[in-house]
Amino acid sequence: MSPAFLNFVEICLNGLMAGVMYSLVALGFVLIFKASGIFNFAQGVMALFAALTLVGLQTGQVPFSHLLNAMFGTEIHNWGPGLNTFISILFAMVIMIGLAFLVEKLMLKHLVNQEPIILFMATIGLAYFLEGLGDLMWGADVKTLDVGLPSGGSFWWEDVTREWAAEGSDYWGMYIDKLDVSATLIAVSLVAALSIFSQYTATGRALRAVADDHQAAMSVGISLRTIWVIVWSIAGFVALVAGIMWGSKSGVQFSLSLIALKALPVLILGGFTSIPGAIVGGLIIGVGEKLAEAYLGDIMNFLVGASPNLFTAIENWFAYVVALAFLLFRPQGLFGERIIERI
Amino acid sequence: MNARVQSVGNPASIGNSEPDTFPKYLLHNARRFPSRPAMRHKTYGIWQSWTWSELLNDIRAYSMGLAALGLKKGDKVAIIGQNRPRLYWTFCAVQALGGIPVPVYADSVAEEMVYVLNHAEVKFAICQDQEQVDKVLSMGDELASLQKIIYDEIRGLRDYDHTDLHPIDGVEALGEAEYESNGETLWLEEIAKGKGSDLAAILYTSGTTGRPKGVMLSYDNLAISASNGNAFDHLTEKEETIAYLPLAWVGDHIFSYAQHYTAGYCVCCPESPETVDSDRREIAPTYFFAPPRVFENLLTAIMVRMEDAGRIKKRMFDHFMEHARKVGESILNGESVSFLDRLKYKIGDLLVYGPLKNRMGFTRLKVGYTAGEAIGPEIFRFYRSLGLNLKQLYGQTEASVYITAQPDGEIRADTVGRPSPEVEIRVEDNGEVLYRSPGVFVGYYKNDDATAETKTADGWVHTGDAGFFDQEGHLKIIDRARDVGKLKSGALFAPKYIENKLKFFPNIKEAVAFGDDRDFCAVFINIDLTSVASWAERNNIAYASYQELAQHATVYKTVEEHVDQVNRDLASEEMMAASQIRRFLILHKELDADDGELTRTQKVRRSFIAERYGELIDALYDGTTEKYVETEVTFEDGRKGKISATVEIRDMEMHEHSYSKKAAE
Amino acid sequence: MNMHITRSQELRMTRPDDGLNKGDPLLVVDDISLSFGGVKAITDISFDIKKGEIRAIIGPNGAGKTSMLNVINGFYHPQEGTITFRGNKRSRMRPHEAANQGIARTFQNIALFKGMSVLDNLMTGRITLMKRNLFWQSIWRGPAEQEELEHRQAVEHIIDFLEIESIRKTPVGRLPYGLQKRVELGRALAAEPALLLLDEPMAGMNLEEKEDMSRYILDVNQQFGTTIALIEHDMGVVMDLSDRVVVLDYGRKIGDGSPDEVRNNQDVIDAYLGVSHDGE
Repeated sequence: MSPAFLNFVEICLNGLMAGVMYSLVALGFVLIFKASGIFNFAQGVMALFAALTLVGLQTGQVPFSHLLNAMFGTEIHNWGPGLNTFISILFAMVIMIGLAFLVEKLMLKHLVNQEPIILFMATIGLAYFLEGLGDLMWGADVKTLDVGLPSGGSFWWEDVTREWAAEGSDYWGMYIDKLDVSATLIAVSLVAALSIFSQYTATGRALRAVADDHQAAMSVGISLRTIWVIVWSIAGFVALVAGIMWGSKSGVQFSLSLIALKALPVLILGGFTSIPGAIVGGLIIGVGEKLAEAYLGDIMNFLVGASPNLFTAIENWFAYVVALAFLLFRPQGLFGERIIERI
Repeated sequence: MNARVQSVGNPASIGNSEPDTFPKYLLHNARRFPSRPAMRHKTYGIWQSWTWSELLNDIRAYSMGLAALGLKKGDKVAIIGQNRPRLYWTFCAVQALGGIPVPVYADSVAEEMVYVLNHAEVKFAICQDQEQVDKVLSMGDELASLQKIIYDEIRGLRDYDHTDLHPIDGVEALGEAEYESNGETLWLEEIAKGKGSDLAAILYTSGTTGRPKGVMLSYDNLAISASNGNAFDHLTEKEETIAYLPLAWVGDHIFSYAQHYTAGYCVCCPESPETVDSDRREIAPTYFFAPPRVFENLLTAIMVRMEDAGRIKKRMFDHFMEHARKVGESILNGESVSFLDRLKYKIGDLLVYGPLKNRMGFTRLKVGYTAGEAIGPEIFRFYRSLGLNLKQLYGQTEASVYITAQPDGEIRADTVGRPSPEVEIRVEDNGEVLYRSPGVFVGYYKNDDATAETKTADGWVHTGDAGFFDQEGHLKIIDRARDVGKLKSGALFAPKYIENKLKFFPNIKEAVAFGDDRDFCAVFINIDLTSVASWAERNNIAYASYQELAQHATVYKTVEEHVDQVNRDLASEEMMAASQIRRFLILHKELDADDGELTRTQKVRRSFIAERYGELIDALYDGTTEKYVETEVTFEDGRKGKISATVEIRDMEMHEHSYSKKAAE
Repeated sequence: MNMHITRSQELRMTRPDDGLNKGDPLLVVDDISLSFGGVKAITDISFDIKKGEIRAIIGPNGAGKTSMLNVINGFYHPQEGTITFRGNKRSRMRPHEAANQGIARTFQNIALFKGMSVLDNLMTGRITLMKRNLFWQSIWRGPAEQEELEHRQAVEHIIDFLEIESIRKTPVGRLPYGLQKRVELGRALAAEPALLLLDEPMAGMNLEEKEDMSRYILDVNQQFGTTIALIEHDMGVVMDLSDRVVVLDYGRKIGDGSPDEVRNNQDVIDAYLGVSHDGE
């Protein structure tokens, strides 16, 4: 096989794995949107908050230590060596479920039957609140997160692919980050678990029922508020997983909340109400970005005849252009239901 | 002929020697296959199964219960309902006491049922559910001999007067108690008294004209025919079949009862008539029997699905079906086929034929039969080319089914095969086919005149069908002997032959051809609603009813093309060229058994239709192009109403006789 | 001795008995008034529904029948008056709480879960009978499995009762209208309700479908002893089915009694004929 082709494969693979990350975040959005019609702007911040909490628990940080120290002049930072990773994840999950309860009690309950735009604004508020809360609780510094997943390039894979290259070419082998591979595996099992849950359990059925018809769901005895708590808990769980993945990859920092923005084009592509759409959308965006970065720039530069530096960093805006195109030609996305607004 | 050992004396020995009655077969099977499945039934979404020894226990309890209720040797018992295990058990439970089961078509109207129940002098009626119980109760006073009604399903019957009404559960409990206290000796003795020449069952033929006739069949008739059938198709206790045809029909009686007992295989009862297709998929029968209509409907459903399928899928389907048409039958017949073609067929099997067979529930099919009527050759070939061993069979109630059947490897689309084992056949000068066999019936119950008319003194039976043997020794049936007529020109006119050609088109469900003693051939056509409606949907053609769709201009045009194609075919055959269709019309209503236009087995009642639509037939021959008619119809609930329509009549162009040209080429 | 399920056993409803006898008042509506921003939908209506009866609520279009049903199952909260169900006077109540107390209903415009199969719709109908609450189930499913099987069995009996075996796995949205109505009845039945509210169960059906549906309603009432309150436009059906009829017009009660009494009531005749504002 020629190195050029192997390069192409490498780009696609990396794109797919980056796409998995987008899919994870988009998944959280879709879950909440389907069950309650709320576009949850805070989904990205929830991932950040989950990751911060996890690191805090793992390293034994005292919550609000900065605040306490500033107010009382104390010098407390840690209450101990920290918890074992598995237990920390469990605790973080419990905290995310608690958050879901609070969101329902303090926010959603009071906004029943309000316009979607009002609910959306509320989630923006929630996003800023959570971001501030995370900062106050755990501090604003960049933290490293290590939950024991393997990371770094796979030498084995490099060797294997080097063999594939044509004799005599100076191909160095394919680079694949082991962390990306485990992220992919985890994401796949998460999606599988979620779909089994929604297909084969009474709770899953209730979730689908609510997504299908609110009024009918209430009449058979489903409490919408319970469903909201469950959905926000699941979204919290997804956020935790996404937070762990992104955090392990690039450190837990506040720019993490911006990944929510990348999820937007994914949703537009996949449709806001479709779980498979979120997955496929994420993968398409991931691969598209990487391919565009690698090839489109050169092509554009060649076409325009400009200096080789005019079209660069395509990765940063490519997704949005694709989303724009979709909004123009297929606003319901690849898998979404056609939305017809009647006046 | 029936040199079978008769078991007498010690009841414990029953079932050791070759049995000659079905109750003896039951004991025999419980001994040789105690833990093999004998029956399955889907209830409340779950397949339940009974082994042969469980079956024996249930039937014994049921039978002893019936005895406790007063059923005696020689008593007739009506069985009314769909394919339910306990209704099948009734046959054996009644026969064990020397009684005679009389299955009745469950959907027959009250008047028909009264006639049969009275004519057979039934003492007990076994009903499936409330609907049937109500029907029997409504005849109340008219049924002189009826003493007890027994039902399977209690739903809705709880509050009925239960003096002479019993649930089968209750009857079984009664028998169970009897068994606990007195044992089974008496019961076994009663079974031992049965012999092969005894009357086993009376099956009423629905008949195209006149009152139904009760065909009396002996154990020897049924058991020997069934055993011969098993040997012919190598059927063993390992087969699984699905029972879905009317219990009163001889075909079902042989396939789901006589062969079930003689071979010891497993019969599966569907959940409801509407779920037969999906139940069959779950069971995947190894032995399957259906009238052509069922195969036609299955094919139509597949074609409709494919029309709606994506382009790639449809392409693939067309491509591989083309290949199957080319080599599929040859491969099935074991003829030599090139390696490449075989390979491609294998791929096709993986991609298309396999999934298709799975969809239809034919994945494990060993032998499939079609009978009752001629099957369209294209339909027949379609199934054969998929690699399904579908065969044709020619049979009658009076013959215990088997007259001729196609042996493996000698399958022709247009013949019904060679004489079945132990069957002799001769063809009269007027073309009528006669046969003599161990399956030949005892006589018509209480109708010696009819018996004498049909069965000669030396045991030959008139089939009433016209046919001939081809060079290979296969029988070819053209039509009912009395339906074959002549055009005024003297040319042969075989209506069914023409109708079958028309019905091969998926858009045409039914056709009735006229021409005997007329100047030319003309036809009534019924379109197939499933097929045409799906086409209409795809083409955005709105319609409110069958009637509206039938009179749509585009539909007429499509049908006209089909008729033209048939004329082309007819023109190429020397005997048939004269009976090309000169005029046709599409009927404004679907022919329906409730209106008496079809028999209960969905065969056209020609003379009835000729009378009912006399005006339209006149219009076919007097040259008018439009005719206003009013027709009385019966709704499902029994109410009557009228529909009216202006029916359009089209003229067709005649094709030149092309057979001479062909011969010259 | 025999392990096989026989069809001689009838479907029974298992909801615990409330100690009421047939004929005792199951639900009492007392002086209810309901208005939407000044528009009065219901004015001072009182009537009762007795255990085991079929009670029809009729009236011309806009008479407040559906509003009345919505009050009973908690979609609307009346400004005045009380509702007593099974002897308990109830306060402001949400629909899912009404469902928990054993009130199931169908809707005029069919509110099924269209994307879900018939089976899933019916299973969802049993949600109030599931012992573990949804949140707990979502975390730990183990013990729920056996329960799931038992519910499935009950649902299969309803499928059998309504003769919808062949569409068990079909998404509801793909079914024809008449069958959807039947499935909706099935979902309400799945809850084994003490009180079944049917909002125009035969709207938009042809004669044959209406007869089938009437049969099912009568069977439900007779076999399970379920108390039924129904709204229906087809007077023939109402008179045949119901034990007692309450007549509303412009949000007020104008008649109450047996079908014969109501038929001869002058106010009712006027409402339907004289001053009719009903399209039918």
